[in-house]
Formats: sequence, structure tokens, C-alpha cells
Amino acid sequence: MIHTRHKPLEEILQMLSGATKVAVLGCGGCVAFYRTGGAAQVRELAEKLGEHLQVVSLGVSNRQCYLCREEELSGLGDAERIRKIARELEGFERLEEVEAVLSLACGVGVQNLAGLLELPVYPAQNTLFMGRRRVEGDFDIELCVGCGDCVLGYTGGICPVTRCSKSLMNGPCGGVFNGLCEVSRATGEEIPCAWVEIYRRLKKLGRLEELRRIREPRSHAASGIPRRVKVQEGAG
Amino acid sequence: MKVYSRFMESLRSSRFTVSGEIDPPKDANPAEVVEQVEALREHVVAANVTDNPIGDVIMCTLATCVIMQQHGLEPIYQATCRDRNRIALQSDVIGAAALGIRNVLALTGDHPRMGKSRDAKPVFDLDSVLLTRTLSTLRSGRNLSGEELARAPEFHIGVGLSPGVEPIEAEIIKLEKKIEAGAEFVQTQCIYDEKVMERLREETSHLDVPILPGIAPLRSLGMAKFMLANVPGISIPDEVMRRLESTRDLKETAIDIAAELVSAAKDYGFPGVHIMPVGMHMHVGEIIERSGVR
Repeated sequence: MIHTRHKPLEEILQMLSGATKVAVLGCGGCVAFYRTGGAAQVRELAEKLGEHLQVVSLGVSNRQCYLCREEELSGLGDAERIRKIARELEGFERLEEVEAVLSLACGVGVQNLAGLLELPVYPAQNTLFMGRRRVEGDFDIELCVGCGDCVLGYTGGICPVTRCSKSLMNGPCGGVFNGLCEVSRATGEEIPCAWVEIYRRLKKLGRLEELRRIREPRSHAASGIPRRVKVQEGAG
Repeated sequence: MKVYSRFMESLRSSRFTVSGEIDPPKDANPAEVVEQVEALREHVVAANVTDNPIGDVIMCTLATCVIMQQHGLEPIYQATCRDRNRIALQSDVIGAAALGIRNVLALTGDHPRMGKSRDAKPVFDLDSVLLTRTLSTLRSGRNLSGEELARAPEFHIGVGLSPGVEPIEAEIIKLEKKIEAGAEFVQTQCIYDEKVMERLREETSHLDVPILPGIAPLRSLGMAKFMLANVPGISIPDEVMRRLESTRDLKETAIDIAAELVSAAKDYGFPGVHIMPVGMHMHVGEIIERSGVR
């Protein structure tokens, strides 16, 4: 799922400057699960914003990365569109007054919503990464950068593109110490060296020969440009 | 196999080969390079030029190498993957070869988060294994796009090794890949512990490539503590720490300790050493002399 972190209030106010009446819209997807952009966080943010401007409407939408088919919205104005995509909404009767929408969704959700509305849509969060909820320890961790050329089959199911600070392809660099990435010394965090983990995992699996093979440079031909995939017939 | 450089010629001979290291200045003053060159010239066959260690901005490797050549010291051009993608790396080493640079050392490079340019974009388009292979490909007369080069660059390819890191097997596997990719010589991270040297000898006995243990004089107890805290895989024996603590003449002790390590490298059968003087360029001659390797 997608991990996000709230932007500082000052930055949000800066973006919204010029608008006096806003709607705040959380997302029912990943950010609701992680409690960074669900109903409670929308309310909290609306309260803080309320000291500076009018939050005339607030609520949570369906997943903002997939709200509905565009044809379902055709002919509707922004207020009706917001009513249609929201799951829970307060102040919907005043939606016509809204001058800007603040979204607590990830960057995908914000862009999708912005594409559906005439009103300006602003992000309340910084989108961080695709990862998983912590299994142990205090951190959720990034697991996939969506590089488009998955190597997990050769690396014992541990992604070096994501989890090695240098995205190396051929083993640990000389910076590894006590099983940690060299960057740990700069940040003070304990970041495990992905290649030490890969080495240990492959050794355990009896597949160290995977580590002995020189892996080709990654191709950036596909990921260095805005990517798209053709929608399959019959898909959502 | 052709020999393009004095450094490689020395490694192929039975002579004990000593390489040094030049620290490029942060500013545009060539005199700072010249000063180090003059200190090293009579004592080392060639000297490495670092590529912006920990991402702190200093004079570029190429310019430093050229200044060295103008003053009669053969450069070993260190190329790292931190700041340059495969286009820039190929372009730079082709240019270096055109300027007569005959030794290139392929390194991964420190992460930019380690130094003062922490917000810089880390590139790492290639890694040290792939950079090594890229250098081999260029030398064989092709570039990575498959185009033929009428005149291929002529240089020898070196790689680094961190002999103290754990798990050592992963490090050795990576070294084997570098050799498969065309590495012709190895220079290691600094070693202060003869046990590490011994292990290095054992772990690499199956490899047919000259390995030069890295030796950096310990100028002070503070530096020793800094190295222990900041250089991965470093171990400094208690006895060495005690000598640094109790000495009345730090410089002399630093030279002695370094000389003993040079001598140990020879005893363990290494074909030479790589001395990183870290500011003690004026004393490299003394280190070698006291080691008795010549």
C-alpha cells in the first residue's frame, strides 16, 4: 500500500492562499488504512485549517485512485461530482461555495481527483512509498519502487532496487558494516544492508549461484518516461 | 596482455609495487596537487586520484590526473558510479584515455548522504562490477551501445575491496565477479590489523590478480578512533591504540606503524601496497624506507 506523511500546515495554507472556502476530502484507500488520510485525520486537519479559513465541507471519498468511470460524471458540476464520489460528507449542501479542494489522498488520488474537477485540488500529504505495515519493529518499510523490471526471482525475494540505498545489482558495496547500510551512519537509523540480507537468504536457500552471476545494468528505457499500460478488455 | 602503464609494468615485474594517493583540493589551486605530487613522485610508481569522497565537492579527477602527469607522476583515475550514469562514465574515461591516463579504478562510490551534498541525486546507474565490465568493453573496442571504436582506450582496470567487512564471502563473491568482468588489479580499504591481512591472503589465494593492501598512517589517536567509527570493516589492534596513546612523538609512531604494515604485506606475499597518506604525503618515503621492502 501507499505510505504518506502530512505536509506542514504552513505549506498547505500557502497552497490554499486566495481561497477562503474549501472542502477537505480524505481517501478510503491506503491512507485510511494507515490512518493518515481517513475520516479522523480529515476532521483533525479541518479543525486546524478552521482557524485560518472556512472548511465548508469535509468527508472521505472512495479510493481516489479509482473514483468512478468518467462517463458517470459527465454533465455534472463539481459540487455534484464531489457528492457522487464521497462516502461520508458533511456540509454537502454548501459545496457550491467551495473554491478549492484539499485532498488527503496519495499523489495518484490527488491527480485523479484534480482531473475530474474544475476546482483546484491541492495535496495535504507528501506521498512516500509503496510498502507494507510493520511486522516487527517500529517502522513501515518501502518494498517496491515499481521499476518495471522485477529481479525478486534472483534475489531471494528481497528487492535491491528498493532496499539497497544505491540500488546496486551485483552485491554489497564496501560501505556495509555490522550488516547495516553505510547510510545508517549518516542518518542514525538502522537500515539493514539489502545485499547482506540477500546473501543470507540465498545461502539459506542453497542458491548462492544467483549471487555469482553478473547481473546486467537495469534498463531505464521504460521507467524514465511516463509509463502506461494498455487496459485489457473487460477489466474494471 | 599488453602493458600500458608503468604501474602495471611494475605489478608484472617481481618488484614490490607501491601506489600512493593524491587528495584533490576543494579549490582551483593546482599548486596543492603539485605539492603532493612532489612529495610522492620519487617513492611511488603511481598514485590514485579520489573522486569526491563522501560526495564532498573537490577538484575533478580528470583535471587532477592531468596536473599529475604534467609533473611526472602516473595517475590512477578513480571512477565512481555515484554521480555519473553510463553515458558520462564512458565519455569521461574515453577522454581520460585520450589524455594519456592509463590506469582506471572502478568503484561504487559513497552515498551522497554521507557528506555535505546530502540532497544530491544518487545516480548509481552502474555498480562497480558493471563499471568494470564497461571499462573492459571500451578497451575491447566497443561502447555500451555496441558501436565500434576505431581507437579503443588503453588503460588498465583496477577495483577496490573491503577486506574487513562481514560477511566476507559476499565481498569475495563480488571480487570474483569484478575479476570476471576484467579487473586486473585490486587496491583494498585500509588495513591496520595483520590478522585481516592474513585472512585476506587466505580468502583470495584462489584468485590470480595482484592485490595491494591499503595502508593509511594513523596520524593521531583521534584519527584512529574516527576510522574505527567511520570506516566499515576497520579493526585496529589494542596494541596499536596503546602505542598511539603513549607515544611522545605521534609522527614517528605513525610512520613506524605504517612501515610495519607495509613490511607485513610483503611477508604475507602481497605484491605491493597502496598507501593513502591522508595528509602525510611528505612522509611516504620514510614509511617505505623504514619498512625495509626495498
